[in-house]
Amino acid sequence: MNGFGALAPLLIIVGAALVILLLDAFLKKDNKNYLACLSLFFLVVCAVFCLRSWNKNLSYFEGQLRLDNLALFLAFLFLIAVAFVMFIGMKYLTLQNVPGGEFYGLLLLALSGLMIMTSSLNFIVIFLGLEVLSVSSYALAGLKGKDEKSSESAIKYFLMGSFASAFLIFGLALLFGTAHSLEISAVLSSFRANFEGQLLGLVGLGLVIIGFAFKISLVPFHMWTPDVYEGAPTPVTAFFAVGPKAAGFAVLFRILAPYWNEGFKSGRIFDVLWTVAALTMLIGSLIGLRQKNIKRLFAYSSIANAGYMLIAVLAGDGASLIFFLTVYLFMGIGAFGSLIALSKKDREYTDLEDFAGVGFKYPWLGAIFSVFLLSLAGFPPTGGFLAKFYVFVGAVRQDLTSLVIIGVLTSLISAFYYLRIIVYMYMREPERDVDIEIENPALFLVLFLCLYGVLQLGIFPGNVLYVIRQAAASLF
Amino acid sequence: MIPASYFFLLSVVLFVLGIIAFFLKRDLITQLMAVEIMLNAANLAFLALAKSSNFLDAQVIVFFIITVAAAEAAIGLAIVMLIFRQKKSIKTEDMRSMKG
Repeated sequence: MNGFGALAPLLIIVGAALVILLLDAFLKKDNKNYLACLSLFFLVVCAVFCLRSWNKNLSYFEGQLRLDNLALFLAFLFLIAVAFVMFIGMKYLTLQNVPGGEFYGLLLLALSGLMIMTSSLNFIVIFLGLEVLSVSSYALAGLKGKDEKSSESAIKYFLMGSFASAFLIFGLALLFGTAHSLEISAVLSSFRANFEGQLLGLVGLGLVIIGFAFKISLVPFHMWTPDVYEGAPTPVTAFFAVGPKAAGFAVLFRILAPYWNEGFKSGRIFDVLWTVAALTMLIGSLIGLRQKNIKRLFAYSSIANAGYMLIAVLAGDGASLIFFLTVYLFMGIGAFGSLIALSKKDREYTDLEDFAGVGFKYPWLGAIFSVFLLSLAGFPPTGGFLAKFYVFVGAVRQDLTSLVIIGVLTSLISAFYYLRIIVYMYMREPERDVDIEIENPALFLVLFLCLYGVLQLGIFPGNVLYVIRQAAASLF
Repeated sequence: MIPASYFFLLSVVLFVLGIIAFFLKRDLITQLMAVEIMLNAANLAFLALAKSSNFLDAQVIVFFIITVAAAEAAIGLAIVMLIFRQKKSIKTEDMRSMKG
């Protein structure tokens, strides 16, 4: 169905970003919290529009922008993620001297990029969405302008990201050469006749996958991840861990899943991705073991999680991929939010030693953080357990048993580094002077909502799973 | 007239040169230029393939890519300026404040 409603959510977000950048430039208030409230208002309006178009399958621009149920569900996830990131950002911005207007404005622009990426079936539109996302992310990473680590992470992210985009766009050129169109379905049907014989197209598809692999930090294209996660401002890191990763995987799934259905499962691309998934899980959990900085540790944890998500992509199991992404949103933002809770003026606590004894000094914070860590490690009754469980079950059904065995073993290994943080919090005497300067209600609201999300998805996932199945059904 | 396939070959050569330069060069501006060369190689590939297949969509796509490349160059140069102001250097070996 053609309808202006398909464009409305996007227009609201882009408009909101511009309004906020202009307001910040002209009003020059010291307290930037009003910008967060304004952004939240726009996010809610956008969410209402998304809800109203559920099941309607709206499209616009001759079908180039298509709001199917999957796009809507992901847009909803992104809206929640950005709202959470803005709330946990409020405390961080005031304490660490980060410019507020740019933070909210760029975050909204990045959100629009995410929504463009996931709501199109044309490679060029996906590429443009990815670039809107990337360009605003580069700026977000370097937002702490006076901090050397932050600008260094920005330049690393920028160089690696634009290098990856060049691969992606060259791959698109090759795909265009074989299919004479950049619709995902046209590319697929050009492969249908002769899959292995089309060297040009295969190289093109490979380059496109490499381009995405950089963005979602699959091994061997993960080198930038730890540095960027460590250097970027913590709320921005939380956004990187959740937003671009979810969008990248959703797009990768949209591109690749049809190929598995067509019986290309024995193809070379499948084998290469199988190895990449195994390596990603292994490297993410093994190198994570020797990290002393918690932000770096979470970077490796996000690499390992990318491996599990790739298993779901390989199994062609859309519902469990989206469930994993949903759970990962709550536990990822919750974990980074707990890090922000533990900071004071111009000082962040990100070393493992800083967390010694925190569990006794701040019992609530320690308990909440522990739940997020247990969920990341995959203990029941948290959402993290069910997410991994569904992915593994789906993969076993598709004869990926050996990959699942690697997955179970690596999640055992990575459980060690998550549990080590809990051990530090509860079984060590405090070594350093750590305290919370401002009790920020917005931050604690987000922490409790994330806690609720992780437990709800772990204990009563039924309703969400029902919606996710509807969303995943719109794929084929 | 020069056949379109020659242009395509040229674009592949340019792309590979860009990759090599990205890994061999040790300062940020040159790496940025290497990425720009790779993007322009992709443009050339689009044009060559459009010419050989007579599908003209590719010529429009090239405009999109040029715009994207301009946006990337703008933000990239701004970040390099930021780095230079802090470190007085744009060599990659000076970007080592994080390890692990």
